[in-house]
Amino acid sequence: MTAWARIAENLRLGQDVFRLRLEAPEIAAQARPGQFVMLKVRHGGDPLLARPFSIHGAENGELFILYRVVGRGTKILSMARPGKNLALWGPLGRGFDLGVANPVLVAGGMGMAPLPFTAEELVREGKRPAFLLGMLTTGGYVALVDALDKRLKNVGVAISWASEDGGLGRKGLVTALLAEALQNGAAHILACGPLPMLKAVAALAAEHGAPCQVSLEAPMACGIGVCLGCALPAAGEGYLRACQEGPVLDSARLDWARL
Amino acid sequence: MSAPSLETKVGGLTLQNPVIAASGTFGYGLEYRPYLDLNRLGGLVTKGISLEPRQGNPPPRIWETASGMLNAIGLANVGLERFIAEKLPALAELDCAVIVNLYGEAVDEFAALARALDGRRGVAALELNVSCPNVKSGGMAFGVDPQAVAAVTRAVKAETGLPVWVKLTPNVTSPVAVAQAAVQAGADAISLINTLLGMAIDARGRRPRLANVVGGLSGPAIKPVGLRMVWQVAQALPGVPVVGMGGIASGEDAAEYLIAGASAVQVGTGNFQDPASCRRIAEELAQFCVENQVARVSDLIGSLRPPA
Ligand SMILES: Cc1cc2nc3c(=O)[nH]c(=O)nc-3n(C[C@H](O)[C@H](O)[C@H](O)COP(=O)(O)OP(=O)(O)OC[C@H]3O[C@@H](n4cnc5c(N)ncnc54)[C@H](O)[C@@H]3O)c2cc1C
Ligand SMILES: Cc1cc2nc3c(=O)[nH]c(=O)nc-3n(C[C@H](O)[C@H](O)[C@H](O)COP(=O)(O)O)c2cc1C
Ligand code: FES
Repeated sequence: MTAWARIAENLRLGQDVFRLRLEAPEIAAQARPGQFVMLKVRHGGDPLLARPFSIHGAENGELFILYRVVGRGTKILSMARPGKNLALWGPLGRGFDLGVANPVLVAGGMGMAPLPFTAEELVREGKRPAFLLGMLTTGGYVALVDALDKRLKNVGVAISWASEDGGLGRKGLVTALLAEALQNGAAHILACGPLPMLKAVAALAAEHGAPCQVSLEAPMACGIGVCLGCALPAAGEGYLRACQEGPVLDSARLDWARL
Repeated sequence: MSAPSLETKVGGLTLQNPVIAASGTFGYGLEYRPYLDLNRLGGLVTKGISLEPRQGNPPPRIWETASGMLNAIGLANVGLERFIAEKLPALAELDCAVIVNLYGEAVDEFAALARALDGRRGVAALELNVSCPNVKSGGMAFGVDPQAVAAVTRAVKAETGLPVWVKLTPNVTSPVAVAQAAVQAGADAISLINTLLGMAIDARGRRPRLANVVGGLSGPAIKPVGLRMVWQVAQALPGVPVVGMGGIASGEDAAEYLIAGASAVQVGTGNFQDPASCRRIAEELAQFCVENQVARVSDLIGSLRPPA
């Protein structure tokens, strides 16, 4: 469904990371972990297309989006003030399948966005997810790290951090943490992050015979399955639409060599 | 003033309003059900249907540009058989005109598609996408060659009693010769414009943005080209119904096309800016008529005045 949602808050949580809180009760009520919305960063034709963002949280009629400023659209979004209205549609796509045993959540960089919501819903279903989070550096992101740690602590989940500069948690890649978790009994992977990380995660999953759900990005124009712009190479042949069959897909359904 | 009449007649159809959803931007229609009442559309054009299913081009397939977008989807579609079995039954229940867009790479492919769709419940008209490569003539698009367009149109008309709209490419010097050839071969209306061939480059990486290298430009950036071509065809071929498109995002944009000579309009990329665009544009067009004392939307058609 479409909404014309008032910005309640657009809070900077790090040097280039913001958390947007939108009053969008109907979308928030239907949102499931791993789903996304298409958000117009401003009204009208410039920029032309809406931007896809994962649902970072949904509660009390409000929808949360966690985003990094990477280009013109997200720059414009970062300057939007509370009180302003933005157009969006959603919730879209297939989210994470939560009916899994011993889940381990693996996030890399902004791939963290959908995972706190996912962890909360898993806990609500009586699961105890492990939560692994890797970043390049955590230096400029004190508020972000703090917000995530607190939010997950509220549901009894402790984040295992990895950072490539060694600023927080394990020095190195999050996949090192994942390899250990798999050895220690984690059974089912739910991952979101940059493509190289997801490739490594999918390879680890295959090695351990662990089922693995990955959330992928693709350029999107419509978000609702009609433009066919968001094609992801499918295992075997052909393509899957990131916005319909995805964005969360069983890693075995993808042709990683063509990705 | 009472509510203006939005009804329009075009290419063998009477539409409840002139706003039609364009091919390739509206899927098979039903995808938009959560966003607007399909029964209140002027009409909808399906994704281009080919005889066999097509997977489409490798990604990346789309790239946003200044007030527009490039696409190289590669005409991915479910193919004729699945379209008839899985998509058409639900479309047949709609109260709006459903126009099936056809894609072929040879004259006999278009003819076979038309034969298979002739007389099917739910199909109001056929729209021929002649922007596709003509395999028999070395892959050059049908749409740049008046004779090839005439041959396709004639072959399709021979297979069906349905109204046939021929959708022209703007990638020609003048659309008039091609439009004329289509009309002489029996076309009931001319749709234009399809996308303009374009390209985008990542200067830092020195690579094309699209895997296909080139793609079709659409959106507000192409509106002046669409208006010009609609006007040219309407001027040169009075009495020939024209369906105008290219960059329509508001009721006023639609009015401009009608004034240039279109009897109906299509909205393509506008559906991506807002999935309820077609409804909003029809409402804005009605409002435009009220504000400008236009009793019937059809009074706008071809009403361009000379330069001030
Ligand atoms: C399903 C999905 C969920 C996402 N969730 C988040 C999230 O929670 N937080 C977050 O920060 N980012 C997320 N992204 C990425 C986000 O959509 C892009 O960062 C954003 O579109 C960039 O827009 P821009 O105008 O700032 O960048 P530009 O580079 O100027 O954008 C140019 C064009 O490319 C597209 N584009 C650029 N980067 C991406 C990308 N990574 N994925 C898809 N399209 C892109 C833009 O939408 C735009 O059409 C998600 C992407 C997808 C597909
Ligand atoms: C993603 C995309 C897919 C399209 N697919 C088709 C198609 O299958 N057949 C066709 O005739 N036109 C296709 N078109 C062209 C549109 O129908 C329309 O002619 C063009 O985009 C110009 O209108 P617009 O500026 O309103 O988008 C496509 C356009 C886009 C953007
Ligand atoms: S974004 Fe349009 S089909 Fe997926």
